[in-house]
Amino acid sequence: MNKTRRIETTVELVRILVAIGIAYLIALIILYAISDDPVFIIKQFVLGPLSSSRRMGSIINLAIPFTFTGLCFCFMYAVNKFNLAGEGIFMFSGCIVTLTSIYLGKSGFPPVIVIPLLLVVGAFTGFVISLIPAYLDAKLNANIVVVSLMLNSILVFLSIWILKYLMRDPSIGSLGSLPIPESVKFASIFGKFKIQAGIFIAIIAVIVVAIIFYKTVFGYKMRVVGSNPNFAKASGINMMVTIVLAQLIGGSLAGIGGACEILGNYDRFKWVASTQHGFDGLMVAVLARRNPILVPITSLLLAYIRIGADVVNSKGDIPIEFITVIQGIVILLVAAEEFMGGFKKRLIYKAAKDDLKSDKEMVVQEILADDENKIEARKESME
Amino acid sequence: MPMYTLDWFANFGFSVLRLSTPLIFAALAAVISRKAGMLNMALEGMMLTSALAGVILSGFTGSVWIGLIGAIIVGVLSGAIIGFSNLTGKTDLYLTCIAFNLAATGGTVFVMYLLTGEKSTTSAAIRAFSVPSITIPLIDKIPLIGKMISGHNLLTYLAFLSIYMVWFFLYKTRLGLRLRAVGENPKAASSVGINVTKIGYISFLISGILCGLGGAFMSMGWVSFFMKNMTNGRGYIGLSAMNIAAGNPVGSALAAIFFGFSDAFATMIKGRGGDFPTEFIEMIPYVATIAALVVMNIIRMGQKRKIEQGVKQK
Repeated sequence: MNKTRRIETTVELVRILVAIGIAYLIALIILYAISDDPVFIIKQFVLGPLSSSRRMGSIINLAIPFTFTGLCFCFMYAVNKFNLAGEGIFMFSGCIVTLTSIYLGKSGFPPVIVIPLLLVVGAFTGFVISLIPAYLDAKLNANIVVVSLMLNSILVFLSIWILKYLMRDPSIGSLGSLPIPESVKFASIFGKFKIQAGIFIAIIAVIVVAIIFYKTVFGYKMRVVGSNPNFAKASGINMMVTIVLAQLIGGSLAGIGGACEILGNYDRFKWVASTQHGFDGLMVAVLARRNPILVPITSLLLAYIRIGADVVNSKGDIPIEFITVIQGIVILLVAAEEFMGGFKKRLIYKAAKDDLKSDKEMVVQEILADDENKIEARKESME
Repeated sequence: MPMYTLDWFANFGFSVLRLSTPLIFAALAAVISRKAGMLNMALEGMMLTSALAGVILSGFTGSVWIGLIGAIIVGVLSGAIIGFSNLTGKTDLYLTCIAFNLAATGGTVFVMYLLTGEKSTTSAAIRAFSVPSITIPLIDKIPLIGKMISGHNLLTYLAFLSIYMVWFFLYKTRLGLRLRAVGENPKAASSVGINVTKIGYISFLISGILCGLGGAFMSMGWVSFFMKNMTNGRGYIGLSAMNIAAGNPVGSALAAIFFGFSDAFATMIKGRGGDFPTEFIEMIPYVATIAALVVMNIIRMGQKRKIEQGVKQK
């Protein structure tokens, strides 16, 4: 690795840590300012999430959907397409998977067949839906952000319609689907931690995605297309196929995420509004700097802060909503090129100057050595 | 079956115009950003913060006008924050807007809780103020039309006036010309001495004024209190209206009125009860936008192909 790249990586890491640090500090200041008993509340916010095995389990359970949508956005980001469909896919896939599970539950197939089938249904839902913005962008050059945003709203209404007219349980008071069959629900494992079994699927997903990104030809093509489209075109990479395929894989991951969430944590489908998991995934991907290996870590971090806010909310007089403000600040700081950009530039300049200096010295020495050789050679020839 | 009397039509027309108001403001705000070359996804958050600011300021000062001005100022401030982050901080615009919307959804609830102790609505805690409605003399005597277009909130009339003002600004003023130049080609604009960053800021600020008015209508016209997430996707519908008309102010406003119509239609059907799935009516703005984008781009591709063929033949 050359010097500039090493500086860039280091600064990037420091930047993310500083951004999170600043946001965390702001959170603490807000808590301090508005609470009657700030020390207790801050202690709850910082240590609360780690205080019981149950809560640590909830951190991991919350991090699982974030991991899936985070991976989804890693793919969108890798090919530089701002495809936001992950948000709608997550909810819609949950809806379709519930519907399928209710019908398959009656059929009497063993869970060994049904559960993988449901995951495939989730992935396929994501695949088909992400095809719409990806195709319209590739073929017709329709603005992908607008199309995917509109698609998200359509999917919300479509899910509600399916919930109301195809699988509503009339015996319960609130709007909810018929119960998901017990046999297909994920078991909770690790005893007291109550972690849903979807964690294994998430871990496999991270490993597979990391392999796709860094060990396959497709992953390399994808990264080239994203980082230098002109070079990719010139070297004969099929741009359109790479870009569309990356988005389809991303969409499928969001779909699997929705399936795992509904099978792991819910008894019935009752989402009537967008779940925000997609936008959280976007944040996870931004924080992880599009690196799938870092996604689980940033997911856990986000989940930790969320559970902290939950604890504070239940213990004190603080509304949990302030956490979204903090989240916004983190996104802005991490995504802002200018934030600590001057610091990075200075480091790179300094390294370059040092290099130049040592290069110069080397050149001078070479010239001197060369001169000496010549002088000696001349002397020899004179003699 | 209800009777489709003249009164019924008048009422329906009235509610179409009423529901179109925030959509027109949002669409025009999107138009200004679009003409400056930017897709402003943060309309939703900007309207939400202004709506809350209007209620709080009018409630605490006792004057609806201070509330209205406050809503506009907060809208402009929101625009300034987004502009600062995007133009000065060089943050990706989409990310900025998403972060802002996120912060606005939670932030408004947080501020509301700090000031009133309520988490869902300010209706009980803060005294209600509304921007007054106006009866237009003479016109209100006309049978059908009078009832439809007279007696609206001041901001509804202002929304229709804004269509003209935005059009005038964009096409008849020097600043508007510069703004469009930046939107078409920032480098070319910069090369003839236009300050691209400044124009970017101006577009966000004007967008902010329009969002401020839209937000104020939501909380001081449509209803007279603030409610959690009360804009409920209207910013995105405004964005779709702009996209359908490809940034033309009059076309965008017409699209916004059409979406207001479908909104009124859905509300009416819901009000009647029965089993009709209103979800599909509520989808209309979004489906229409995607359809319009597809059609527009197919036409554009066709033209491009024709031009290319023409070049080859020569």
